[in-house]
Amino acid sequence: MYVRFPEGAAKRTDPAATTDVLYDAVIVGGGIAGAIIASRLSAAGKSVLILEAGPGEDLTLKGYEGYLDRFYSATSKDNQSPYPVVPNAPMPRGTDARRIFPGSPDASAYIVQSGPFATDTTYTRVLGGTTMHWEAKTPRMLPEDFRMRTLYGEGADWPLTYDDLAPYYNEAEREIGVSADVEDQTYLGVEFDEGYVFPMKGLPLSYLDQMVAKDVNGMPVELDGVTRELRVRPWPQGRNGIPNPAYNGGKGYVPQGAVSTYQVEVGGRCQGNNNCVPICPVQAKYNAGKTLAAALQSDLVHLVAQAVAYNVHIDEHTRRVTEIEYRHYDQPDSPGFTTLRARGRLFILAANAVENPRLMLASGLHGSSGLMGRNFMDHAYLLAWALLPEVAGTFRGTNCTGGITDLRGGRFRRHQAAFSVDIHNDGWGWARGAPMTDLIDLVDAGGRYGEALRQGLVDRVSRQLQLAFMVEVPANPSNRITVDPAFTDHLGNMRPILTYDIPDYTMRGVAYARQLSKRIFARLGAEDHTEYDPNFWGYAVYAGEGYEIRGGNHLAGTHMMGRDPSTSVVDADQRCWDYQNLYLVGGGSMPTVSTSNVTLTVAALCLRSAQAMLTQLDAESAAINITSKAAAQSRPQEVAR
Amino acid sequence: MTAHSFKEFLLLSVDLTAFEETDLLGTGLAHQYLAKVRDACGEGVVTALLGAHRAARADAAGDAESPDRTLLDRALRHRIFSDDRLGPVARNVIKLWYAGMWYGLPPEWTDCYEARTAAETSTVTAASYQEGLLWRAIAANPPGAKAPGYGSWAQPPRIEARYLKEATQ
Repeated sequence: MYVRFPEGAAKRTDPAATTDVLYDAVIVGGGIAGAIIASRLSAAGKSVLILEAGPGEDLTLKGYEGYLDRFYSATSKDNQSPYPVVPNAPMPRGTDARRIFPGSPDASAYIVQSGPFATDTTYTRVLGGTTMHWEAKTPRMLPEDFRMRTLYGEGADWPLTYDDLAPYYNEAEREIGVSADVEDQTYLGVEFDEGYVFPMKGLPLSYLDQMVAKDVNGMPVELDGVTRELRVRPWPQGRNGIPNPAYNGGKGYVPQGAVSTYQVEVGGRCQGNNNCVPICPVQAKYNAGKTLAAALQSDLVHLVAQAVAYNVHIDEHTRRVTEIEYRHYDQPDSPGFTTLRARGRLFILAANAVENPRLMLASGLHGSSGLMGRNFMDHAYLLAWALLPEVAGTFRGTNCTGGITDLRGGRFRRHQAAFSVDIHNDGWGWARGAPMTDLIDLVDAGGRYGEALRQGLVDRVSRQLQLAFMVEVPANPSNRITVDPAFTDHLGNMRPILTYDIPDYTMRGVAYARQLSKRIFARLGAEDHTEYDPNFWGYAVYAGEGYEIRGGNHLAGTHMMGRDPSTSVVDADQRCWDYQNLYLVGGGSMPTVSTSNVTLTVAALCLRSAQAMLTQLDAESAAINITSKAAAQSRPQEVAR
Repeated sequence: MTAHSFKEFLLLSVDLTAFEETDLLGTGLAHQYLAKVRDACGEGVVTALLGAHRAARADAAGDAESPDRTLLDRALRHRIFSDDRLGPVARNVIKLWYAGMWYGLPPEWTDCYEARTAAETSTVTAASYQEGLLWRAIAANPPGAKAPGYGSWAQPPRIEARYLKEATQ
């Protein structure tokens, strides 16, 4: 089964004409959050306008193949390499990161980093958002992750529980198309509905995972007085596997194939391209284009691309957002633009945890709690790398099929950060640029050629094991996104300024992770090659030891949800406390990032919020009288149904 | 480009990569790679490199069929790899075949031999990355292309036994 991106969908809406339309909802951002909300609102008969900052033709087959060609041809194959550089809607790139020295922020790239800690975290500003380049691991959060303050006195509590979110996790797993087995994913309090199965069966562990499991399974680890045994566990994955006939009470599941192309070969099932990040060449991996293409089948969904939101206008008397002013650029790389306005009953900022607060703050909306942009979170990644005693055939499979999740939760979180561990099927790629760096070293420094080179490559590359410890970072108001008129992009939009430091709580988890990696390598009989470079941009010293810390692209926390308007920005429905028709959705709403990759939780939260939006739309049927202060406009018309 | 120099380039490439002529031709890129080396370094360097290889082969001529491997190794080291002008180019030819990419030569080289284009790192075509011999050497697919199929990653890699020797020592 596949869905075509409707011909001309990115162009069928005349931007100028939309200014005369009152939409039920105006959504900023065409990523997974915006796509899910657009699909659910339009399915209920509501009209939607999506404003996408990036160019909009990329969900056609031609557009997708353009991404692939750009990737194949790129000399640097980093996680943004397939995606066009658009000066009018710039995006961060992993290769931007620079060491920050006290007192001199790094403004050389799109995100201005004022430190003290530098990060290479990224997001992708194209239609489909960061799900174009995401790896598609989809673990649920643990029940304890929602109650961190109460249980462990660290971080914040959610206004929701795991049980509140569980039905939406089910729905998110259907929307994304998750491959996993319930028996592998039931641990540390995560439970599933009676009889629940995932849409598709779990992907098999890689041969590398199996080699690690042989020695690691059953390894005892004592922490905070509790002994547990480690186990290599498969990750749930947002990519197509073998449909589970027991899904949905025996009705089964039909995988969603590639957008705009029919895949004869294996029905869109993951083929092991080992390239989830930065782009799955066959779209076996979910991207939000799948949801968007389906939503755009409806005439109720309008999309304006090349539309960068510039200002959120509010009416202080009614405490409502009146319109979003945006800059519609003519060409990706030339400065010409038209200022336009989008009107709606509801406004939904679904950009991401950096762009949402950036837009609010650039509009002068700091929030009555003063927390807009504060509590920025990401995962702190620590890598450890070694050579296994035997050839494991590294560099095969999806980027990551298995990991160790036993230290995601527990009482030790009173003292130190939890983490999950990825076993990387792509070897030392992330840590040291393997295998190209191995090739260069063997040829240039090692003098290898011919047979000796081939032997050397197998010896050096096919035995690689890289563990990635994804360490939680708790909310801290000092870690924040701000703006400053001194820093703007080509379109005149204020750029995000990031102030970020890694707390000791996280560093204790990092230090523990490094010790654990040594034990794991010793148990495997592996040669530890981990070495942290003091000149690395993300070098951090804790208790006399230095570590390389990397960003996780798992952005969270900048418009945190809560029960109390004085200590949060949005409520449990992701509705802004200050403006009753404004929703800020996505990772920014999360009070803890914990040890889950954020996208599944973002999707679940948005599915839940879509219900609240529909309830609000149905309750607020009064005519909205909007008059534009900026220009003489005809009175907005309801969009044709 | 003469047919003769193309044949010589192939012969050189076989010695440098330890892949057979049919494998190299099978990439469909051999002509483009020779052209790439010519464009980057100039005709003179290519002629000298092929000449040095011809001489190395002559040094190592054992019986009529195949050269003496030990003598050939020594001759290649003496005539090519240790040569200021030819060594970096030969190493780049290896990397070109293995990675599908021309790695820019350092300024010392380009200044000395007046071939500034050689300093630019570039891919040859979008296909050259996919045809990199590196991936075949480690029994993997180039990430993002030539997918091996669902679940194949759960099996041991198909690496020829002679390449496993060093690894299992």
